[in-house]
Amino acid sequence: MAESKSTADEEKGVRCVIVTPETTILDTRARFVTLPLFDGQRGVARGHAPFIGRLGAGEIRIVGEQGAAADAVRRFFADGGFVEVGHDAVTIITQRAIPGEKLSDAAARAELDKLRGTTATGDEAIAAKLKALEAARALVRTAERGR
Amino acid sequence: MAKARALDRRRRSVRNIRKITRTMELIATARFKKAMDRSVAARDYTARLAKILENIAAAGAGVVHPLLDVRPTKRSAVLILTGNRGLCGGYNSNMVRQSLAILGQCRSEQVATHVSVSGKRGIAALKFRGIDMDERYTTFEDKPEFDAVAPIGRSYLEAYASGAIDRLDVVYTRFDSIARQSAVTEMLLPLKPPEPAGGTATGPAMLASQDYDFYPSSESILEEILPASFLSRLFKCFLDAAVSEQVARMVAMKAASENAGGLIKDLSRRYNRARQSQITGEIMEILGGVEALKQ
Repeated sequence: MAESKSTADEEKGVRCVIVTPETTILDTRARFVTLPLFDGQRGVARGHAPFIGRLGAGEIRIVGEQGAAADAVRRFFADGGFVEVGHDAVTIITQRAIPGEKLSDAAARAELDKLRGTTATGDEAIAAKLKALEAARALVRTAERGR
Repeated sequence: MAKARALDRRRRSVRNIRKITRTMELIATARFKKAMDRSVAARDYTARLAKILENIAAAGAGVVHPLLDVRPTKRSAVLILTGNRGLCGGYNSNMVRQSLAILGQCRSEQVATHVSVSGKRGIAALKFRGIDMDERYTTFEDKPEFDAVAPIGRSYLEAYASGAIDRLDVVYTRFDSIARQSAVTEMLLPLKPPEPAGGTATGPAMLASQDYDFYPSSESILEEILPASFLSRLFKCFLDAAVSEQVARMVAMKAASENAGGLIKDLSRRYNRARQSQITGEIMEILGGVEALKQ
């Protein structure tokens, strides 16, 4: 009886997978996932309509992970990438994902300052720098929120 | 005694060599396992990217992107992945042979070629054959990192987009299985256009893939996903090369250890025989002395 209850619990949430080029860094079930899409945050729970979206730089929040409290939040920083949302699964495909506990406020600020100090010439270089700046600011924001 | 002692000295030195090759074999085995784990872990990313590409293709969006354009080849780039170290059987020489073939082909077609080589062994061998290299990398060992491979990939993407190259070939050793690795030349740019999921299948598979929404649009996602898919394929080449190098070293060192074992056996036999004949000789001398005293 207890076993059937636990499988029912498992089926409630969404399966959340984070994949980077080197490895799969997370594969878990959660109640709710917040994603940093290119134009803002979007929350996904079980039964969300399937979509494929582009991610911006920002914070992934995994709420109510299996085996943790219902309102426990696990955070990651993702630097762009894609997300594929199925009926009960969220797959995040990104080139860089940093677990929340490894984020350091000072390191994030140093990265931002270093980027600010560089000069870019030419349209493409300027666009690349702006993109990098945006990612660095998102990293600082995510690191600050984790304090 | 001189001959026996020389044989013994040789036997001792072969024993030392066997110790070294045996250790190298064990190290290569451990490294191979680690490299293999990394390669397996990286497969998921490529597979999932491919799935999204299939979904986009199946959604019927016109798959048009500069990276998919096939242009007449006027300028090409070749990236050759070799090892930094030797003692790995035919691994490096196979790479050099394979790359000489493609470079020769480029020359006969009068295509200007940008040559990049990774690995000290490959650099030395191609230098010896008088081939000009534009880029040399010696930092990739048994654990290539994505962050190190990505800048190389991005520079190729830029060169392709700006028309500086029309094609990119990578020469590397593909890891098929532990018993089989093959030297291959793979064309990475232009990319192959994505196929819709399940080929031309209709019915449930087709319907299932069509109900995805795309944010902001399938074109915009395609624009981002194609470079990502190229980078992951390039990264896979580096991972495969690393795994294959370790396998090659493992096999070569195993053969060397076995060979040394055979050599030791042969030397031991000769040493024993030499010692025995020496003892026999001494006994004959003593006997001869005794006989002489009797008279």
